[in-house]
Amino acid sequence: MTELRTASVDAVPGSRAGFTRARILAGVRGAGLPVAIALIVGGVVLAVTGNNPFVVYGMLVREAFGDINRIDATLAAATPLLFTAVAAAFAYRAGVFTVGVEGSFVLGGLTAAVVGSSVGGLPPVLAVAVTLLSATVAGGAAAAIPALLRARWAVDEVVTTLMFNFIVIGVANWSVQAFFQQRGQANSATAYVAPAAELPPLNPPNQANVGLIIAIVVVAGYAVWMRRSVLGFEFRAVGSAPRFSLAQGLRVRLVVFVAILGAGLIGGLGGGAHALGIVHRYTSGFSASFGFTGIAIALLARFNPIGIVVGAILFGALNSAGATVQLFVNIPIQLIDILQGTVMVFAVASFAIPRFMKRARRGAGRDDA
Amino acid sequence: MPILSPTTPAADPVTCRIGARGVSRAFGSVRANVDVSVTVRRGSVHAIVGENGAGKSTLMRMLYGLDAPDAGAIVVDDADVTFSGPRDAIARGIGLVQQELAIIPELTLLENLVLGAEPRAGLVWDRKRALADARELAAVVGVEIEWDLSAAHASIAVQQQVEILRLLYRGADVLILDEPTAVLAPAQAAELLRLLLSLRAAGRTVIFISHKLDEVVEIADDITVLRSGRTVASFSRGEVDRAGLTELIVGDQAVEVRDEAGRPAIGEAVLVVDGLSAADDRGIQRLSGVGFSLHRCEIVGVAAVAGNGQEELAEAILGIRDCSSGSILLDGVDLTRETVRGRRRLGIRYVSADRKREGLGIDLSLVDNAIASSGLSRLGRAGWLRRSTVDARVRAVLDRAAVRFGTAKDPASSLSGGNQQRVVIGRETIDEPRVLIASQPTRGVDVRGIGYIHELLRQARDDGAAVLLFSEELDELHVLADRIVVLCQGRVAGTLPGDAPRAEIGRLMLGETATTPTTEEEGR
Repeated sequence: MTELRTASVDAVPGSRAGFTRARILAGVRGAGLPVAIALIVGGVVLAVTGNNPFVVYGMLVREAFGDINRIDATLAAATPLLFTAVAAAFAYRAGVFTVGVEGSFVLGGLTAAVVGSSVGGLPPVLAVAVTLLSATVAGGAAAAIPALLRARWAVDEVVTTLMFNFIVIGVANWSVQAFFQQRGQANSATAYVAPAAELPPLNPPNQANVGLIIAIVVVAGYAVWMRRSVLGFEFRAVGSAPRFSLAQGLRVRLVVFVAILGAGLIGGLGGGAHALGIVHRYTSGFSASFGFTGIAIALLARFNPIGIVVGAILFGALNSAGATVQLFVNIPIQLIDILQGTVMVFAVASFAIPRFMKRARRGAGRDDA
Repeated sequence: MPILSPTTPAADPVTCRIGARGVSRAFGSVRANVDVSVTVRRGSVHAIVGENGAGKSTLMRMLYGLDAPDAGAIVVDDADVTFSGPRDAIARGIGLVQQELAIIPELTLLENLVLGAEPRAGLVWDRKRALADARELAAVVGVEIEWDLSAAHASIAVQQQVEILRLLYRGADVLILDEPTAVLAPAQAAELLRLLLSLRAAGRTVIFISHKLDEVVEIADDITVLRSGRTVASFSRGEVDRAGLTELIVGDQAVEVRDEAGRPAIGEAVLVVDGLSAADDRGIQRLSGVGFSLHRCEIVGVAAVAGNGQEELAEAILGIRDCSSGSILLDGVDLTRETVRGRRRLGIRYVSADRKREGLGIDLSLVDNAIASSGLSRLGRAGWLRRSTVDARVRAVLDRAAVRFGTAKDPASSLSGGNQQRVVIGRETIDEPRVLIASQPTRGVDVRGIGYIHELLRQARDDGAAVLLFSEELDELHVLADRIVVLCQGRVAGTLPGDAPRAEIGRLMLGETATTPTTEEEGR
């Protein structure tokens, strides 16, 4: 039997560089196609409306990355998306399709605004820590019931988390008007947070702030945790091979519970960072659908951490450049929405189509008489 | 669309409606069919019998054009034909009902019946006419079908009837059925057999594969026996009884020799199963009061025809299937309420018959596959995996089973079937298990790989495991098992010594004393 042992057991430790490169390449391949298709669709829209697509795209790139201030704006816009994309990817890795990050983001934001406005007496680091911690807990709380329903009674998480978004956002907006309304404000908004609780900008007076650093740390933590922790391993196993995981005695219920809860915690932290770093308070319309855009980014990146960073910057660039580019050219304001929407559609499609093909191949064995 | 247009009755009984003339087919070194000849008379019910791997399915696939012979020819209406695909076979009036039914659950039974050949009324399909056709068709063959029922809510038996009617609707007059009764409860099987007989009465030709020799002897006009890819005998009705068939099916091939040299003596009882009952996913009772014990350094074989409760037994012991009554004791501790995780911690290990979905995470890397088990927490500290410990573990697992692989980061799907199974067995035997449940461990593994997997199982036994080996291959049980527990219809039909004659095992498996399919009150 020994002659069978041609195996290169040395390969176990693996070369880390090659491995990472392979993952980056895979990420680029998966994300490149949807983005390319979106650019073509957007180009057609521009051409039809009498614009030169190349000129407008060139302008978009310049507005997004043209100088240090533009890059700063793009990174600021990417920051909340980093949080929500990691939150979504965290759950999706376990095969759990929560869409509740939006609700957690909003509740986290409100909590941070309320707590942050009353911690002025604390030293800045402590004030920020306390505020972000409470935002994180609030985000988790928004996901706790769907997590329990799914893990304990197998209630479909897509439905429960979607419904909980309505409940949570409704409760948040109502409680602002009922309890936290700042006097003298026309629209419903809380008071501004104490200066000690603000996340300082990285390059004042621009908007990108310490929240970006926190987001990057979260992405890195996600990457390491999935690869190196016991529960992270179980996440990947349950997401990839549920029956196998069951037969191996892996903690399938715990994985499902933690997946939904964890997505909520990260979403809440993201909302908190957005409140402390950019908005400095909570107003209705606090989240520009960051939770849903995060889903698209997570799918586009195939849950790959580097892909998530690239995807968040891409969507951040569209948001920041789209806002200013209209000042110079007469392009339809909806162009940015069309581009984002197209990327999302094809991101989801490119994620779903390989699965669909796999199913079709399995079915091809039997010829329908 | 003609509904059961009159076919020529069996005017000339020797006419070969469909058959094979000296057909051979090899897959690599495996010779699935060797010089097989079959003649199926027009208007007859023809049974093909043989062990798993005897070449029955290969032959059926060639008759339906899903595969082509290397030598010899398929015969249709007394002339050699070459099918380039199922389309050609369908054009010649041949239809196949596979074990996995091609029914679309989202549609109604009526829609399933006419799908792809809907009667049209302008731009839409003519539901009224379809329904009239369906009723007429069902009446001719004597079944009653609730046509507006969604297929998802219909029983397997009804879905199967619809699939048969669909072939008739498309104009097939030769129906090939691959183990049609394997998935049915006894009463449903009896109804299917009646349906087959009424098809014959309507002039259709039926070929069916079956392991249930009772029903074969009962309804077949002709019987062809395949063994190791060859036709070993052909009979007409009444020329052979079940005992004779059993003997022909199992044959007296030379077997791999038992290797008992230097093995430790069988030890104390480790696992005691008592009065275990369980139902399958559809709620059909599959295990009824099964009891046996399993000793240290012993391999107990479980022999049963597919669908007689062996899967449920394996799953119940592992804990992925609830049992309705009975108990499972490991070293005197009752496991019945224990989780899979708890049972694994106590030393139960499992080699699944469903390697691709349950035995392995097929898209996960070999590293992930090698470490997956409840013992994960020992591979690191405080919830984190330690790289050096993980690597050592992976190396030990892959080494133990001499897995041939590229790098450990490759997905399990990159390995051959035999190598995949080695990963599974390596992982499941690395911790000196108390109990190893091995379910069809050599299914889909080539001959060379089989010998090595047998060696791994012997090694686990010698290391002190109590091994419960489920196998459809009697050869496998013969070379490995110290005792053989035979299951039939969810009960222990008998326990035999490991070297019991094949015919004796076969008799118990085929339920010599059990009710015949024509008895109505058995089952539901």
